[in-house]
Amino acid sequence: MTIVSILRSATLAAALLASTAVIASAKDVTISVWSGGSGPNDNYRVDAIEIAADLLEREAAIRGEELNITVQKTPYSGWEEFKQALTLAAEAKKAPNIVATGHEDIGPWAQAGLIVPVEDYIDLDSWPINDIYPNLMEIASFNGTVYGIPQDAESRPFFFWKPHMKAIGYSDAEIDTLPAKVENGEYTLKNVLEDAKKMQDKGLVQPGYGFYPRTSNGPDYWQFYTSFGGLMEEDGKLVFDKAAMQRAYQYFADLVAAGVTKKNHIGMPGDQWWKEVATGKAGIWHGGTWHYARLVNQEGLKDFFDNVQFTLIPAGEGGKANTLTHPLTYLLMAGHDQETTQIAADLVKLASEPRINALHAIKSAHLGISETETKVDLYSADRWASEATERLLPHANAMPNNAEFGKYWTIMWKNLEASWTGAKTVEAAVNDTETELKATLGNSIVIR
Amino acid sequence: MRTSRTLGLIMIAPAAIMILLFFLMPVVLTAVFSLTNMSTATGISGGAYQVTQAAVNRLTTDMPELAAAIAGPRFVIDEEGVAALEALKLKPGLAAELRAEHLGEVFASRREAERVIKALKDRPSTREVKRISDLFNRSVLNTRFETRQALLESLRKLGFNLGPEEQEAVAKATYTGWVWTADNFRTIGNSPDMAQIFLNTAFYVAVTLLFFNVGYALFLALTTHYMAAATASIFRAVWLLPRITPVVIYVLMWKWLTWDNGFLSLFMGQFGYPPRNYLLDNAQGAWFFVILINGFIGASMGMLVFSSAIKAIPETQFHASEVDGASRWQQIRYIILPQLRWPILFVTCYQTLSLLASFNEILLSTRGGPGRATEVWSLAAYHTALQNYTGNLEYGLGAAMALVLVVIGVILSLIYLRVFRYDTLISKPLIED
Repeated sequence: MTIVSILRSATLAAALLASTAVIASAKDVTISVWSGGSGPNDNYRVDAIEIAADLLEREAAIRGEELNITVQKTPYSGWEEFKQALTLAAEAKKAPNIVATGHEDIGPWAQAGLIVPVEDYIDLDSWPINDIYPNLMEIASFNGTVYGIPQDAESRPFFFWKPHMKAIGYSDAEIDTLPAKVENGEYTLKNVLEDAKKMQDKGLVQPGYGFYPRTSNGPDYWQFYTSFGGLMEEDGKLVFDKAAMQRAYQYFADLVAAGVTKKNHIGMPGDQWWKEVATGKAGIWHGGTWHYARLVNQEGLKDFFDNVQFTLIPAGEGGKANTLTHPLTYLLMAGHDQETTQIAADLVKLASEPRINALHAIKSAHLGISETETKVDLYSADRWASEATERLLPHANAMPNNAEFGKYWTIMWKNLEASWTGAKTVEAAVNDTETELKATLGNSIVIR
Repeated sequence: MRTSRTLGLIMIAPAAIMILLFFLMPVVLTAVFSLTNMSTATGISGGAYQVTQAAVNRLTTDMPELAAAIAGPRFVIDEEGVAALEALKLKPGLAAELRAEHLGEVFASRREAERVIKALKDRPSTREVKRISDLFNRSVLNTRFETRQALLESLRKLGFNLGPEEQEAVAKATYTGWVWTADNFRTIGNSPDMAQIFLNTAFYVAVTLLFFNVGYALFLALTTHYMAAATASIFRAVWLLPRITPVVIYVLMWKWLTWDNGFLSLFMGQFGYPPRNYLLDNAQGAWFFVILINGFIGASMGMLVFSSAIKAIPETQFHASEVDGASRWQQIRYIILPQLRWPILFVTCYQTLSLLASFNEILLSTRGGPGRATEVWSLAAYHTALQNYTGNLEYGLGAAMALVLVVIGVILSLIYLRVFRYDTLISKPLIED
């Protein structure tokens, strides 16, 4: 073997070694992301993480690192199945890295140690996080610690079918001023009942279709409690305002008694409900800003603004007009090594940039999370996003992040449903609520 | 003799192990879970100690001074913290700059302290900022301690010297995990809703059992017994269909029948009735269909058992009775029914237990609605422990509910054995070892 050949093989060996070193520095990471309540318009809840992964890989490449991120996306269309799957997966130490879920899960999940605070991984003073609306960041916090990054915002309006409103005597001008009248309390829930009745009496809609609420449990029903003067939380303690809750229960009992809402409304097939509100079979109903996307994209209601007026949830006795925002938040799940969680956090941060977040906001008709986002062309050019933001968001409440809130909610809903369907009288329902709240929550709840 | 006994034990060992693992263990675990307040918020695998605002609220009544003293966050840039930072061996400039520029500064929140740390010239990463700010944390608020010892140690460092009783109280108020409690049974005992669900369940089991799983099954067995063999098999095959159809499809067919735009509504529309959801319109309708859906499935099993039992009756008895001029009714009353006591006991007992525990047909059809009217005990336990909209899974309460069901099942079985006089049904074996 000559010196040259020795040198040659040595060079070859060195080159081989060097190439393995390059391969060793390449990093392969799998990030799994789950989202709840994600229908066909909500794909960017998980897709945004994929876009972010692409950007992060490019940034790493510029720094001279090879980073390969595989994003595993699991969107769930419902909530029950999603929360069941996620909770049990987390208990079995098989949680995904990132999850997009309602902010109210932060309380119990943080207490149980299922999630880690996002502020441990993301500098909250850095862009784009420092640009997110402060009240949304507040909603993503628990015990003074920021656990999540808001993924979207929304609010929940009342909808009125304009042709029916005209048919019972409203002029165009009156319909245009309805949002303002609702806001200053001139048009109340009592008027809703009366107008719904008028629509039915005139034969515009079938009996039970005058007021056509959500067909299942949802944050929406807390709005009625708020409309009648109820408060959900004060100084970190849950609040049960018995009189306000009784008025809210009574309102639904009254709607059923007047025949404008069906007694068997809860639990009816969702698809049927959507078809009916999109075609003017219902007079007045309520929903969320994202209903716009479904009505226009899936239900074929192309001339939305000609047919539908939207307002805040009107006031009831003892309360004021309001709406509720129920932001989803990106949370980082516990049980992964710090480096992977750091990458997951970086992805969440990137996905929160205005242009990427606007894709979700506009496609799904949710509202943006930051001031800058409203200036992205896609967002500012969208009539629904700008009008809904202006009319609703300043009046939005949110459900409290409280580890015990879920229990309160379950009990509140169970008894609303019972008084709605007539299984219990309103008095019995509200008394049962009180009894059960006392028994399960003890002094974690203030009863007044 | 001894070898045959050992052999018997060995032979039965796999089955015994299976029974232990898959039948007894779940019951034992359910019993264990039922004595806890386990839920989503407490987690299953244990908890930590965290002085949250809620924990401070809990402490306020018993230990107001301590609660007030630990209620606020406090971050102090002191020599002790800077020394600890030096020991971390991060960039040396960090400690030096803190000591030179910020010694003695006090911050009311972590965020404010971290802003100072972030602004240091050496710019630590976000995770380093957390590690550094932890060193200057001079309060226990919102810090998560993995052990009770760590929490008490931190409190001691902050100057709180607690007696054993106070330590106990603090640990109890700040613990985030589950604790042993009998509250679940108290909740079950006191809640008016639980009483309603209990009544629902009793109604559902009794009516389905009486009219379908035993009553209608018996009727089918008796009528097919008196039919020509070919016709009888066709009838029996038809009544087996609900059982062999996959339950999701079977229930879907009932939904098509009963929903607003389903067959019943279309049919009634011919007579001018507006369309309505017959399944969920009211509680009576919901019960009617829930019982039919379950009854039609349940009837087939009783039918098979009773038919074969009737087949086993010596035909001579029927011939003899006919010679004596017995009517069909008399044959049923004096020949068939007395000899069906054992199968009826079996079917009653078995179907009671399976009706008590089954909820899939109800979950798929009414989901317990309208307004929880058709919520039965097992479905309520499932909703409580494993599936509800708010995602608040109360494993402890759900397990307690399941345990109640187990106890009721055992009690009912014992009652049945007594009523049907089980001891007279079995004859003593003729061969003893």
